[in-house]
Amino acid sequence: MNIKRFKHTGSITFLGILLVLMIIIATGTGAMHISPIQVVAILLKRIGIQLPVSYEANMEGVLWMIRLPRVVLSVLIGAGLGVAGAALQGLFRNPLADPGLIGISSGASMAAVVMIIVQHALPVFSGFPAFNFYALNIAAFAGALLTTLFIFRIARNGGQAVISTMLLAGIAVRALCESVTGLMTYLASNEQLRSITFWSLGSLGGASWQTVLGITPFIVIPLIFLPRLAPALNLLALGEREAMHSGVKVPQLKAILVVLATMAVASGVAVAGVIGFIGLIVPHIVRQFTGPDYRILIPGAALSGAVLLTVADLLCRTIVAPAELPVGIITAIIGAPFFLWLIIKEKRTILA
Amino acid sequence: MMLSVKDISLQLGKTTILDKVHFNAQAGELCVIMGANGAGKSTLLKVIAGEYPHYTGNVAIKDRELRSMPVKEQAAVRAVLSQQIMLTQPFSVEEVVGMGRFVYGSGLSSSDKEIVSYALKVMQVQHLRERAYTTLSGGQKQRVQMARVLAQLLETPDLHTADYTGRKMLLLDEPVTGMDILHQQLSLQLAATLASRGVLVVAVLHDFQLAAAYASRILLLKNGTMYAQGTVEEMLTPRHIKDCFGVDVNVLEHPHYNYPLVVTAAAAGLFQSPAPKAINVS
Repeated sequence: MNIKRFKHTGSITFLGILLVLMIIIATGTGAMHISPIQVVAILLKRIGIQLPVSYEANMEGVLWMIRLPRVVLSVLIGAGLGVAGAALQGLFRNPLADPGLIGISSGASMAAVVMIIVQHALPVFSGFPAFNFYALNIAAFAGALLTTLFIFRIARNGGQAVISTMLLAGIAVRALCESVTGLMTYLASNEQLRSITFWSLGSLGGASWQTVLGITPFIVIPLIFLPRLAPALNLLALGEREAMHSGVKVPQLKAILVVLATMAVASGVAVAGVIGFIGLIVPHIVRQFTGPDYRILIPGAALSGAVLLTVADLLCRTIVAPAELPVGIITAIIGAPFFLWLIIKEKRTILA
Repeated sequence: MMLSVKDISLQLGKTTILDKVHFNAQAGELCVIMGANGAGKSTLLKVIAGEYPHYTGNVAIKDRELRSMPVKEQAAVRAVLSQQIMLTQPFSVEEVVGMGRFVYGSGLSSSDKEIVSYALKVMQVQHLRERAYTTLSGGQKQRVQMARVLAQLLETPDLHTADYTGRKMLLLDEPVTGMDILHQQLSLQLAATLASRGVLVVAVLHDFQLAAAYASRILLLKNGTMYAQGTVEEMLTPRHIKDCFGVDVNVLEHPHYNYPLVVTAAAAGLFQSPAPKAINVS
């Protein structure tokens, strides 16, 4: 018991330290190099602590206005995708549930793209940029929610999601959403086309403090409430029936899980487009170290998701500098082989 | 009355599974439900476990209609061991047993932990506490699940002084399937001990000998109806068993114990197939 507790706090501490290091490295890396100690000095200066470290005057501006919002955004979205993946895997009682694979991200992205076109078509929307931004968020959320409910409805059989049905339904929903997105591309003007392309590949390039503030509540609410559901999620792993016998209000739990997970996914999609595989990979990696207990898995997935997306975004904006790769490409390059490996490793147990 | 089941009928799809089943049970009883495959034993237990709220009739626990009791309240009174629990995630044995304490609040207090340890010890799975559940054998898994259910039921880490009269109920659906004979005996002795502490135990069993040794009352189901109910001696008769199971048995007096021995008669006549054709052995 004590060894286990030590392992738990140990992994969380380790991931926390790793995340802080990654934030410092990522904010320091780019066209203008800022050393880690300078990053720390600039950040601490904001809260009134002066360190005896010298840095150029424009470093502060670059760090605050360009680098930091982007890194914070990657931390938030990564954490959101990580916990959403863990929650969906618990909800579907299946380790292959992932917001990208089962079409939730496509649903969100389709709704967002439709919203872009509608916003340009209707004069009501012009002149309220903040309203537009939230309308986009809400559209993405509604799209994600409907897709999740739809997939869940189709895939469930006798209280358990049938994996093959879930994946097949995911393929169909993705195809449908992508065709609608394609149709919108056809209708779009040049300017709209750029935003749509950006959506389908995923990018953190649009980061600003405004986008960070816009999505913070939608990520923070799941981050606060999902860990509280961890004991009930553990029981759900035994089966819906056993969870009910043990005192879990199963229908209510499932509804809350769907809302929180889609909220985290959809807000990410609304500002950064579809970033696949984080929600699939992250809970798996964490499980290798901590075991399946959701009480540790959920915070672990939040931290690891943040680390992973921060690293992926750092890679995508440095390896072809001064150009930039869409971050969705990087996560798919890492994620798709991982997914294959997972299927091969567990084909006897999970595809049953 | 701890449990009262009044004229329960249940349809699944268009099939009637239970038809006006009626029985009452008091605290401290160990009721064993028996019957052939498809007689409705498990379904009856599931109705009492709250799994099919669309039954017609009345189920009352402590004089309260089951459907009006919140899930948490039900779980605080009633623990259930189902058949075929599918847990594919490698939780440790101790974590699985700890899940039994969910209804008493999230986070295991020190008394919760003592109860979990005690349940592990009682079901003799203490040495497996760190093992991943998924690596256990079928019988070991069954013991771990029994320990989890015990952890849900108990209020103190002790079976011999507590008094649960009128407060706790345990439902067991074929609890000993897959267990070796030692652990079958252990599980039913545990059920009997719980009953002696005032817990109402309702169990589905297939084994006449286990039922004869431990039941305080036997309920015989046939085709979804209550065929008969009564004491072991009243129920385990050649006629009842022939009627419910279609098998001829001899019921003998046990040489050492005060319960009957049920011995199947030579299994002649079960297969009424035509005589096998002569096979040409070349």
